[in-house]
Amino acid sequence: MKARVVVSYLIIIAMGAVWAIPLYAMVVGSLKNLSEVMTSSVLSPPTAIDPSNLASAAGRLAVPLLNTAIVVIPVALAAAFVGAMGAYALMRLAGSIRDGLITGIAVATYLPYQVALVPLVDFMKTLGLYNTLPGLALAFSIFYIPFATLMMFIFMTALPRQVVEAAEIDGASDFTLFRSVVLPLMGPGYVSTAIFLTIQGWNNLFIPLVLTRGYGKHVMLTLFSFTGQTGNVYNQMYAAALIASLPPLLVFVALGRYFIRGLLALGTGGKA
Amino acid sequence: MIPALFFAGILYYFMLWNVYISMTNYSILHPRPQLVGLETFASLFSDPDFVSALARTLLWVVVLVAAGNLIAILVASAVYNIESLRARNAATAFFIYPLAVSLAASGIIWRWLFDPDRGIDAALGAKILWLQGDNAFWSAALVSVWVYAGLGVLFYLAMFYNVDRSQIESAYIDGAGTLSVMLRVVLPQSRQALIIATVFYTLFALQMFDLPYTMLFLNPFVSTLVIYTFFKFATLYFATASATAVVILALSAAIVIPYSMFGFRKWLRI
Repeated sequence: MKARVVVSYLIIIAMGAVWAIPLYAMVVGSLKNLSEVMTSSVLSPPTAIDPSNLASAAGRLAVPLLNTAIVVIPVALAAAFVGAMGAYALMRLAGSIRDGLITGIAVATYLPYQVALVPLVDFMKTLGLYNTLPGLALAFSIFYIPFATLMMFIFMTALPRQVVEAAEIDGASDFTLFRSVVLPLMGPGYVSTAIFLTIQGWNNLFIPLVLTRGYGKHVMLTLFSFTGQTGNVYNQMYAAALIASLPPLLVFVALGRYFIRGLLALGTGGKA
Repeated sequence: MIPALFFAGILYYFMLWNVYISMTNYSILHPRPQLVGLETFASLFSDPDFVSALARTLLWVVVLVAAGNLIAILVASAVYNIESLRARNAATAFFIYPLAVSLAASGIIWRWLFDPDRGIDAALGAKILWLQGDNAFWSAALVSVWVYAGLGVLFYLAMFYNVDRSQIESAYIDGAGTLSVMLRVVLPQSRQALIIATVFYTLFALQMFDLPYTMLFLNPFVSTLVIYTFFKFATLYFATASATAVVILALSAAIVIPYSMFGFRKWLRI
């Protein structure tokens, strides 16, 4: 093996080990029993495996997990679809109007959503949706539909123009074009966008924190509530963190390339 | 297209509404807001807690941009020089995984790793006291680098792969070492990754909230602009919260507006 390959592997293994420590600590920590957790370092492997923390954390997280799933997954799927339609319509517009509109959407998307805090809460209170799951779903939609439009637009710029133009010559209507030509080609882009938004929504603490009371309406709030109650025993916090993180991590393991393509699209365009 | 523009419109409406609230005296003491001009901003900038949150957030930007780019370049260069495609892709995905873990979970994990008795101090055999006083800021910033460096790795690798292979081959034939090939041929052609990573790192640092909040709650040593906004909101000083949000908005817009205009011109030309 060439020297540069060996050095490269050494760098990756050294950095990778540092990168792996938190994941490792979370998994072993969640399996430790009470007496061990009081004395042992977070890095030491458990001497005996105690699944009771995982079971009790799963019990407390069950309802919030369900609440999160029924809000986040439909919103992500719908936002990606609405975004695809919006992106297609934008694509069909004349050059300068389109550029202006998409730049406006991009600015709205990239600006930190936290700055909308006070108006967002007032808005939800006026609508009577404060502290409700539909309110959370609406808030996620407000932020994610422009986001999805931007992302789908970026993916669309990478589509071969000739395909759309050929169908146009055949006299297909806008809607037929979208449904039978653009949509099938946008499959991977749609999956990337939907997965990206699912992970973002699942992992969001800020929006549920300001829009709901208590800790039950979103899994990240429930996870956060463990930090206040379980004081000195990290096994329960780690068990809760593991269970709350498992859905996005499993999605990442199974469909990571779509997630990565989404990240890349936001930075470097749809072709990469 | 209508829904997309409608929801983007709501976002702009929120921003304008937010600017309006920042010019009122809206709070628990004044539930019916009255316009007071820039008075809220004047009192904001005379609050030492705000000024320190602002300074800390800007320092966070500098730390995340500098350390994030350095680590991303190091790791991306190492990944780039591996010959097996599968190993390259696996390594890239591995460094991305912290982005799929919530910042709340990361904050909780790291708060125990930094524990003085049972954390990494025990393994290192040293008493670093990661979360004491000013150390807390540096520790939290370190965690943010762990979270976001993988994104930079991705951007740099995408640019590295675009570099013409024949230029690299001919540099090797001329007897150049790997280090000089990376420094003289590959990196200079990947300047765009530096711009993109810097834009994203800046935005992430400006909106830092979940990580310091789950690690240390409202600890003054890790208070950022968003934490300050949240604290003022939670204690019902709405105008102050909005004024802080306007400051965050202004700082972000300075990055986002040029980036969006520059980025789209490039993508639309494709």
